[in-house]
Amino acid sequence: MRRLRLGDWAVRLGSIAFVLLVWEFVAPRFNPLIIRSPSAIFRAFFELVGTGELQDALGQSLRELFAGLAIAIVVGVVLGIASGRWRFVYNALDPWVSALYSVPSVALVPLIAVAFRSLGDPPRIATVALFAVFPILINTQQAVRNLDRSLLEVARAFNTSERRLWSDLIIPSAVPFILAGVRLGIGRGLIGMIVAEFFVGLVGMGYLIVEYENVFRIDRMFVPVIIVAAMGIILMGFVQWLEVRVAPWLRREQ
Amino acid sequence: MAAAERVVVDRATKVYNAGALNVFSELRMSVHDRETLCVLGPSGCGKTTLLRAMHGLIGLDEGRIVIDGLEVKRPRRDVAMVFQHFGLMPWKRVRENVAYGLELAGFSRADVDQRARKYIDLVGLSGFERAFPHELSGGMQQRVGLARALAMEPDILLMDEPFGSLDAQTREILQDELLRIYQQHPRTMVFITHSIEEAIALGDRIVVLTARPARVRETLTVDIPRPRTVAGVIAHPRFLELRDRCWHLLRERTTA
Repeated sequence: MRRLRLGDWAVRLGSIAFVLLVWEFVAPRFNPLIIRSPSAIFRAFFELVGTGELQDALGQSLRELFAGLAIAIVVGVVLGIASGRWRFVYNALDPWVSALYSVPSVALVPLIAVAFRSLGDPPRIATVALFAVFPILINTQQAVRNLDRSLLEVARAFNTSERRLWSDLIIPSAVPFILAGVRLGIGRGLIGMIVAEFFVGLVGMGYLIVEYENVFRIDRMFVPVIIVAAMGIILMGFVQWLEVRVAPWLRREQ
Repeated sequence: MAAAERVVVDRATKVYNAGALNVFSELRMSVHDRETLCVLGPSGCGKTTLLRAMHGLIGLDEGRIVIDGLEVKRPRRDVAMVFQHFGLMPWKRVRENVAYGLELAGFSRADVDQRARKYIDLVGLSGFERAFPHELSGGMQQRVGLARALAMEPDILLMDEPFGSLDAQTREILQDELLRIYQQHPRTMVFITHSIEEAIALGDRIVVLTARPARVRETLTVDIPRPRTVAGVIAHPRFLELRDRCWHLLRERTTA
């Protein structure tokens, strides 16, 4: 990832400020049932914080998101490595991965709700995990399958043990791909979170969006939308930061 | 000179694609104690395959390779290899790359430390211990590959066109370096190359192979005294004769 310079930041902040300003001045000319100004949304944010609604919904959503992502990372990395390393696992798994990855994940959400026979957290967590798992799994699998053959030969030439082969070669070469998969997974996981909250029990951020849309409070409706966007940006930024920490050798890309 | 034979290649034959492709057949050669044997041959004649077989990374279809009385079946601790592609782990720093073989061989932490430092120093990389390979030039990367092999203090060093991917100037610097290291501590070495000059500069003897299927065309003795430098070898009166002889032997087959 290229490092952003001061000038880059100035352009980014300027762009945001410009759009918000235009929005602020244009909004009053339209029907408030359709569009509200940024300042109105800003006030709505504090109203929702004041009633405690936003904190409750955010806690609910974050719980689902983190639990779902954790499951997706564990399952994706374990199955990805196993299927990347062993032909048998790859052949056993690939038809299912291909099938499930081809179906739009949204189409499977009602099925998950029915399968869990509940409107509690588990089906929503499962939805987040389902949305997020494939990029992680496939990325990990490809990384392990495309292991550098020449390095593999070096390891054999120095009499590596199977255990050291994993710690010296397989895992380190997969780490950047796993993290890239996790970044993609976060984006998809957020979609899964909102979709699950719409379809399974109506809670969290999804609930706030639907609820305030139904009563035509567009200003309040925008608050959770912006928060979800912020969640995505912060989480992906965190993974990027992590990448530099755990894979410092990748800085050559600059 | 009745020096002990350390490596014996006996009727070694390798075929690929179920016999369709004969890489080399009935190869015979031996490497004497503390000599540098250069294996010279046209590109794609199976030199690298032969070296990999010497280290037990691949098997032979016929014949055998014996090192110090033991038939080679798998890589051994007392034999170390330097690769054309360097083979450094990009996620390991210089020190960790050099220590790699030592750790796998089960040396104590103190020994690993001491030996890694010693050989990083020997190849002139002191101060770069914490660098990642990508932060180094090609020549420096191969110094790391060399230090990794030397750190094993192997009885036999196998060099697979180690300087083949370097630019001419860097190559000569590293050839000199290798000659200097040999002078300090002579050890048995098999050096694969397709460069005639390199073979003469480094080798005590040169085995010239034919094009595929490779056979031993001739074995030449490089009677240029050590200690050597590359510049000194090239200036030596024997150099031109040896080079012409090698040229002749190599060309004979390729134009036939």
